[in-house]
Amino acid sequence: MRTPAHLLRQFNGPCTGHDFRQYVRLPFGSGGGGTCGSTVRRMLITLDGLTKRFGATVAVDGLDLEVRPGRVTGFLGPNGAGKSTTLRMILGLDRPTSGRALLDGRPYSAYEFPLRKVGALLEAKGVHPGRTGRSHLRAMARSNAIPAVRVDEVLAQAGLTGVAAKRAGTWSLGMGQRLGIAGALLGDPPVLILDEPVNGLDPDGVRWIRGLMRELAGQGRTVLVSSHLLSEMQVTADHLIVIGNGRLLADAPLDRILAGHASLEDAYYALTEGSALR
Amino acid sequence: MTVLRAAIGAEWIKLWTTRTVWWSLAAALVLMAAGAAQYALYAENGDLDATVLRDGRVPAGNVAVLALSFAQLAFVALAMLAMTSEYSTGTMRATLTWVPSRVKLLLAKSAVVAAVTFVAGAVAGIVGGLIAKPLLGDLGEAGGIPPTALRIGAYLALLGVFAVGLGAALRGPVVTLVVLLMLIVVLPPLLQVPDVAVLNGIADALPGVAGNHFLLGDSDPYAPGLGLLIVAVWAVGGFVLGCRELDRRDA
Repeated sequence: MRTPAHLLRQFNGPCTGHDFRQYVRLPFGSGGGGTCGSTVRRMLITLDGLTKRFGATVAVDGLDLEVRPGRVTGFLGPNGAGKSTTLRMILGLDRPTSGRALLDGRPYSAYEFPLRKVGALLEAKGVHPGRTGRSHLRAMARSNAIPAVRVDEVLAQAGLTGVAAKRAGTWSLGMGQRLGIAGALLGDPPVLILDEPVNGLDPDGVRWIRGLMRELAGQGRTVLVSSHLLSEMQVTADHLIVIGNGRLLADAPLDRILAGHASLEDAYYALTEGSALR
Repeated sequence: MTVLRAAIGAEWIKLWTTRTVWWSLAAALVLMAAGAAQYALYAENGDLDATVLRDGRVPAGNVAVLALSFAQLAFVALAMLAMTSEYSTGTMRATLTWVPSRVKLLLAKSAVVAAVTFVAGAVAGIVGGLIAKPLLGDLGEAGGIPPTALRIGAYLALLGVFAVGLGAALRGPVVTLVVLLMLIVVLPPLLQVPDVAVLNGIADALPGVAGNHFLLGDSDPYAPGLGLLIVAVWAVGGFVLGCRELDRRDA
């Protein structure tokens, strides 16, 4: 059973003000636990006419939307719909052909230490196979002037303390995925962007991620997660954004999208049918 | 400034936490030691050409410079791998999310590589000189070893910056290494052998040849300082090219 975000927010009381610019106190190094009091500066992702063309192909076609804090937003669409390209543009890795992707009004690259604003899991293979998990996170922390104590905290949070001294090339896919999540949490960021986070995880890991995403959203963070696992999204997301052929197909609360359908899978096929044919 | 300092700190950790750096530095020292010994024996037998002689004697530092023609390849490999391994191991996207400023990222990488190749290059120069000196016998001259070693460090620091920038522009380790080998090892003799002024002139402008002039203190065809300047121009050119490509192309 999942607890809807608005209920969590009620439990959490003071850390869940409605003003998304509100600050609440919790210094670095407090462990990012699930209790209220987390420092979350609420942050908004805004896509403004976001478009990406690769030659004649339009990968992302004029996306206008907002991803709000305090809830888990699922990002769905068939392969090639433009999800990953959109996420890469939000992170400043791909340059939009036109339009903008903004975090509280500024592009990703305008932030001095962006890992403190946005934690991203793009692909499990973001680690040099010859480097240990701990060294990877140490370098990552140093790059954004994040206190080194956070490294051991996120390693523990991801259940990697025991393997942290082993070279990442020897790790399983699931452990790599956990390391990616640990990296995303490193800067205690108000925004989390997770591309297929449960990929390669065992049931234990899937459950961990599910709880973690709920917890992070409950703390007032913005959680944007792309996935093909519709059943997983159905139990995790509060809100869904569905795209097909680079265009926005739906941007609505989960229950509205589910309305009149037996499952998210049915609702998803009803939505994307047209886009798959084109 | 704080951003650059943080980026340099991260690149420093990254450089020392894979095995590449240790293998390359070990290879550089072995090549230097073996090369210096061999060239010192050649010189002692009178088989070495006159460019290394100074007033009829052989400065041990100059033997280290000759040995550097092999050893520098290990330094170049270290420098270019620091950049291209980001692409070959798929870490470049992660790296750019840590440090979104392409210029600062490349500055940080170049600074770390230059610092390491400078120090390790100077150490290699001293090792080469110290190995050559006793083998040169009466012919040898130990005086110039420290200044020559520092010059070797300076040359390798600039060459390292060039290799990092080229790696950022070309991305693949193989293509980057091939281009570097062409510029440093393959092209110079091809251009120097025929007695054609234009070709010889081009050879003199290549980084390895210019570096050699600087290291040996040759004043023909140009002053040693100009040799260093030419290598610096290659370094700046590589850096600018790397920045431009990082900025222009999607990661």
